[in-house]
Amino acid sequence: MTPTPAAPTTPARNWRKLRPLLWLALAFGLLDCAARRTAPVWERHSPDDYAARVEGCRREPRDFILVGGSPVSEGFDPDAMTGLTWQGLPLANGYAVGLPGGTLTDIAIALRHAAPIPPRLVIYGASATDMNDARNEPHGPYSLYATADVAEVWRTRPDARAWTVRRYAEGQCRRVSAIYRHRHGLKMAAADALESQSPGACPEAAKEANGLRDYADALRLGRGYAPAAWFADARYDLRKAASAPFAPFDFLDKYRTGSHWRYAAELHAWCTEHGVALVVVEMPVTADLEAKYPGPTAEFRSLLGTLPADGVPVLRARREALNLNDADFADTIHLNRAGAAKLSAWTRDAVNALPHGDGAAR
Amino acid sequence: MIFASKSFLVFLAVVLVLYHGLGRRDHRYRVLLLASWLFYAVVPPHYWPVIFALTLIDYVAGVRIGRAADERVRRRWLTASIVANLGLLIGFKYTPFAYENAVTVAGLLGVPLSPATLSIVLPLGISYHTFQGISYTVDVYRRQIPAVTSFTDYALFVSFFPQLAAGPIVRAADFLPQMATPPTVTRVQIADGIVLFASGLVKKLLVADPLDQLLVGPVFADPFAYTDAAHRWAVIGWAVQIYCDFSGYTDMARGVSKWFGFELPENFNLPYLATSIADFWRRWHLSLSAWLRDYVYFPMGGSRGGELRTAFNLLALFVLCGLWHGAAWNWLAYGLFNGALMVLHRGYDRAVNGRPAWDALRGTVGWSLFAWAATALQFLVGLVMIRTANWPGGVRLTQSLLGQSFEPTSVEVATAVPLPVGVLVACGLAGHAVELLRRAGVPVPATWPEPVRVFAAAAAFATVIVFAPGVSKTFLYVQF
Repeated sequence: MTPTPAAPTTPARNWRKLRPLLWLALAFGLLDCAARRTAPVWERHSPDDYAARVEGCRREPRDFILVGGSPVSEGFDPDAMTGLTWQGLPLANGYAVGLPGGTLTDIAIALRHAAPIPPRLVIYGASATDMNDARNEPHGPYSLYATADVAEVWRTRPDARAWTVRRYAEGQCRRVSAIYRHRHGLKMAAADALESQSPGACPEAAKEANGLRDYADALRLGRGYAPAAWFADARYDLRKAASAPFAPFDFLDKYRTGSHWRYAAELHAWCTEHGVALVVVEMPVTADLEAKYPGPTAEFRSLLGTLPADGVPVLRARREALNLNDADFADTIHLNRAGAAKLSAWTRDAVNALPHGDGAAR
Repeated sequence: MIFASKSFLVFLAVVLVLYHGLGRRDHRYRVLLLASWLFYAVVPPHYWPVIFALTLIDYVAGVRIGRAADERVRRRWLTASIVANLGLLIGFKYTPFAYENAVTVAGLLGVPLSPATLSIVLPLGISYHTFQGISYTVDVYRRQIPAVTSFTDYALFVSFFPQLAAGPIVRAADFLPQMATPPTVTRVQIADGIVLFASGLVKKLLVADPLDQLLVGPVFADPFAYTDAAHRWAVIGWAVQIYCDFSGYTDMARGVSKWFGFELPENFNLPYLATSIADFWRRWHLSLSAWLRDYVYFPMGGSRGGELRTAFNLLALFVLCGLWHGAAWNWLAYGLFNGALMVLHRGYDRAVNGRPAWDALRGTVGWSLFAWAATALQFLVGLVMIRTANWPGGVRLTQSLLGQSFEPTSVEVATAVPLPVGVLVACGLAGHAVELLRRAGVPVPATWPEPVRVFAAAAAFATVIVFAPGVSKTFLYVQF
């Protein structure tokens, strides 16, 4: 067992030896191509929430776009805003690009991608959670950002540089393989097919697949208001009456602002550049949440208070103004269907009543 | 770090590139040894000195045994090696069990002993590499192989990462000669490695883990909440799970080894086609069976003594086999159960063998089916012993296996057996089914052309990506 040099091999022989790897790459590549070509089927069974909303909005020119985090996706129903006007002209076709968990950075970037043809009005449903620098939402860089967006974040938010680049790179790597990227959609489609062939084979997975497919269809063909049925009918007052404990809510923990807030100016700048009017709505939350997080609530409201000076109207959609109570909320921060109807109607009326272009706070 | 994880794939890719990027044999082996030690040290890192110390002791013992002419010196070094290996194995594996029982016995005698407050985590693969170390020094002592002069070579034989965690238990006589010549990977090895790795992933992630999640885990955790039909399916599912889990690991270990140019032995030979318990143990965990036969059973006298002596040897062998798997009463019972079955089978075999009427009967298809069913029942009962959470639950499951009916205690928990369980069981036993078809005269090719096999492997990888659960469970045999 004396050390000896490796046996001599010729380069040609070495390459021939690797032929199984080439077969493997070819086979996997073919399968991956097949998955890529049929991507809409898999996306329909497991929509990428952010991308689906942006795509849904882009499908046609919009008169107005509602942007924000999950309070917007659950709290604004564009169909319930019929009668909305701006500068005397009706705004009929709207879409809600509410990004669950999204930050103000994600929201501003999503708007640029969602509106290749700028709308006439953008309504930003602002929540305190959007601006908390203690949190970043991986979904944004992962599924929304383009390289130019990452470069911009690198420039504008030095505190989030490494994090954003890492998440963006991770998202790009996962996109290399369509099989990997659409694995959940493939699984859901298979469960759906199996259940339809052999009822009872995988009822829970098939139910999940059906729910996701309905959700994808609602985002693609509807106007962005697609709450889950159980969520739309949930009531926070009943939950409290059942003595359910206050659900953990870490989106407002370690609250600090400044970094995401820079994107308020970016949002405004984009609107100004494209001749789009911007209105900000302070989204209503439950009294319990305000009581638990008085500091963040005050800081958030104070930030919004600086906007009118820049010519951005701020509508304070607080509970008392809308006559909302716990029965209108599904949980501490999200409105249920009844609450969404109230907020949508109130916002429509409030926007219609705005002295357009004056920038007055209501 | 387990095979069915992303971190392992990254680790493997880096090691393969480094290994094949280096030209010199000694450089390659050093890289492979460092990678193996890194693999070992990931969890928990403070155990690395254990494998290093054992490696050093066995290496020195081997060299001294090889050099010494005096038989007493040779025997002394052999003893030192065996004591070191078994000492550490017993220390880590059996001390908590012994102490736990000492506390119970002391309590019964009225002497209070405080229960153990610390649990000892087993060093990775200690049951495997200690056996490899012992087999090496014994083989050198028996002059069956020469002592290894290079520490790197010996350390790599002990620590080679594909088989470090859960075998197969490699014999020095099989592995070290492969190291003597520089390992050049052939095209066949690359293709076979791909197919084996894909097969192992499918067995582990698409059959074993889902079976455990869907039925086996819940039923074994609370048998009283399920019907007798669920019990039977759960036990069969458990048999398929443990086979696919362990043979899946072995497939991956063999596949990865081939990419480094090394061949590891087979560990399974369609065990669930066995028609006797002796046949079963000639098909299941072959490397352990062979090790116990060569280093325990034969030195004890094997079957060379009288019938009583042979029966004792068999019982002792299987008790050791049971305890090797785990320090617990159910493993001891499993060993005794199998030992008793082996003794009974040997008695029966010797009684009827050579009698024309019996021989004719045993040659019929009907008898083969009966023998297969009886053997299957025996190993299923054994499998219940090692998985059951408590004895009453084990008894209930065994009663269901033997045909008794039960109503579940909880209607809410008891559900019908999910349809995919049957599909998974069928998939897990597909290899066995192919062999049966072959025996029935169906012309199933022994092997397929390379492109077909590799395309099938690619499809398997794609299926794993789509359907495998996000996080793989630890391989069962890694815990032993």
